[in-house]
Amino acid sequence: MTIATERLPVVAQATRRRASLSALLDRQDVFSWLMMALPLAFLAALVGYPFFYGILLSLEDRPVAHAGTFVGLRNFVADAHDPVFWQVAANTFIYTGAATLLKMVGGLGLALAMNQHFRMKNLVRAVLLLPFIVPTVLSTVAWLWMLDPAFSVVNRLMVALGWPRPGPSWLGNPTLAMVSIIVINTWRGLPFYGISLLAGLQAVPADLYEAASIDGAGGWARFRFITLPMLRPIILIVTLFSVIFTFADFQLVYVLTHGGPANATQLFATYAFDIAMNGGQLGLGASVALAMLPALALLIVLLTVYLRRE
Amino acid sequence: MTGPATDHATTRRGFLKLAAAGTAAATLSRPNPAGAEGKTITILHESSFIKPFDEYVTNTLAPAYEKATGIKVNYEVTSVGSLPTRISTIAETGSGADISMNGLLQVIQFSNKYLDVDDIASDVGKAQGGWYDAGKEAVVVDGKWKAIPFANIGQLMNWRTDWFAEVGVKKFPETWDELYEVGKKLKAKDHPFGFELGHGFGDNHGWLYPLLWSYGGAEVAADGKTVTIDSDETARAVDFCRKFFKDTMLDDALGWTDVSNNKAWMAEQISCTNNAESILWFAKREFPDIGKVTDQAMNPAGPKGRFHLLNDISHSIFNFSPVKEEARAFMRWLMDPKQLGGWYAVADSYYQPLLHGYDNAPMWKVEPRNLPYRDALANAHLPGWPAPASRQMAESVAKYVVVDMFAKACSGTSTKDVIKDAAAQLKDIYRSA
Repeated sequence: MTIATERLPVVAQATRRRASLSALLDRQDVFSWLMMALPLAFLAALVGYPFFYGILLSLEDRPVAHAGTFVGLRNFVADAHDPVFWQVAANTFIYTGAATLLKMVGGLGLALAMNQHFRMKNLVRAVLLLPFIVPTVLSTVAWLWMLDPAFSVVNRLMVALGWPRPGPSWLGNPTLAMVSIIVINTWRGLPFYGISLLAGLQAVPADLYEAASIDGAGGWARFRFITLPMLRPIILIVTLFSVIFTFADFQLVYVLTHGGPANATQLFATYAFDIAMNGGQLGLGASVALAMLPALALLIVLLTVYLRRE
Repeated sequence: MTGPATDHATTRRGFLKLAAAGTAAATLSRPNPAGAEGKTITILHESSFIKPFDEYVTNTLAPAYEKATGIKVNYEVTSVGSLPTRISTIAETGSGADISMNGLLQVIQFSNKYLDVDDIASDVGKAQGGWYDAGKEAVVVDGKWKAIPFANIGQLMNWRTDWFAEVGVKKFPETWDELYEVGKKLKAKDHPFGFELGHGFGDNHGWLYPLLWSYGGAEVAADGKTVTIDSDETARAVDFCRKFFKDTMLDDALGWTDVSNNKAWMAEQISCTNNAESILWFAKREFPDIGKVTDQAMNPAGPKGRFHLLNDISHSIFNFSPVKEEARAFMRWLMDPKQLGGWYAVADSYYQPLLHGYDNAPMWKVEPRNLPYRDALANAHLPGWPAPASRQMAESVAKYVVVDMFAKACSGTSTKDVIKDAAAQLKDIYRSA
């Protein structure tokens, strides 16, 4: 008995502690923070730290392998005076705008087509994902060959049809070079749009269409008043992702043209890389890379507001 | 030592501490070369177009050095074009390699992370016929040797002897104007020229800076501060380049990167280009018929002379390396004629030695068509010549200022405008000098 009475408080205490711990874990706010701690730590280390370090760098004159000196906004002022910077900014907007629009329209078309019933539907759907799955550098090298006037299928076809040899210079002509990178980006990003929108399409209840048909709605009206509104949230999300990735695109341009001819295809990411890595001006390079941020943020806010209001 | 040792050894923790200290002391006090055992020197190199060159280090040099000294040599190869990024990472983090290869302007960019190697450079120079001036141009920073020159990868003219013969030309033209006339005739016969005007990393600078210099132009004065691009000489070079492009070349050259002219050469699309020896090397091995009709020549001369781009590579030792002294010893060993000669020889003469001792080495007899690459060293310079190497020069190269000046003229912009743009960009860059 004496032993038991001595032990009881200890057991009770432990039980109480356990109870309080499980009660603590039961609290939603505590548990959710606990679950988020690891991803947050990852984000802080892999995204947060480089981001804030990038901001610090952009405010310094920081030649590679040398200590930096704080220069305030001087790098950004230098960017503003650099004619190539403005050319790069224009290129990036044109590239992102055109490629995103093409992907959106093309992706919707693709999704609508894929939503029909036909033989080997699943196989075709899987194959369509290929451009998205193949590593960008690999597919871009394939494009590099396809756009070479000597080897290009397109040029051979055009020459066979009577176009003067050797046919258009896809990467040598400044305008065609921009068109080429937009087309390749669209080719690569189309499946992402297509498959995401297809998922959205399949979630549209069939009875809505039936009801509309009974009310006498034609194909266009069904698309305009049922499909499109139902897809809007997905279009918003996919477009956001697409804009972010296209705006900051690097690999495609780096492999295909390296920004040439004469900066006609130079984008923020490739220009920043050249200045920071090949030119060794880490501060100036960081300022070019960060210059993307306000534009990108504004674009995303506008897009969100617009699509929400609709 | 014995007194306190007995005291400490009485406890288990004390014993462990003592054992660890003893091992450390024993390791530190072991005399060389035994102390070198188990050490590793990592040397970073850009992947070579000439495969046997890299293989020679891993299969011959590294094992030989390990056998002789017990030190392991780790030869780390990075892909072409990624060397600046790799050195930046190593220099910024203070770890990753002990020795690095440098390209074009990397010595000046990283010089404060490199050891002075005056002693090695001067001994090697004395022993092997003295250094070429071109060898010093890229590695001596503020009077100190920050790297040991290894070789130049010359950028010269590659031409098709059979097609040139079709228009009656047996010997490569001496001047840009003569080359232009030949090019016009060859383009008419569907054998255009192709010189890179896009954003590659070498074949564009390789002929455009020499063209600019040969007309008397330069991006900056010898003081390294005064931008001199806006001149009549530059205008004449730009005018020449525009008509040279329009009347002799494939349109596609405007968007070319470094692989493009090699590809066009092997596809028999072009009759003349500016490239390193690799075109002939590759053609001889993979397309022997093309190899037979490929010849090489020095760049043509302009009104102000004949020039070439210095495209040298060198080796530096990082000053934070934990095996600095071992790395020095290794560099001395590597630069010994026995090792150096063998390494040069496996690549024919793709790497042109910067030591006069090799001027008549057997490597030059293997392929006499490579001899112009040796002779071109006499007037080879860094992109910002006549200014000394500088960080500003590296920025100008990375931004393709001079390349784009010519490229924009070729795609139709007026000479006045392209020079004005280049001058504005260069003034911004050199302002900090």
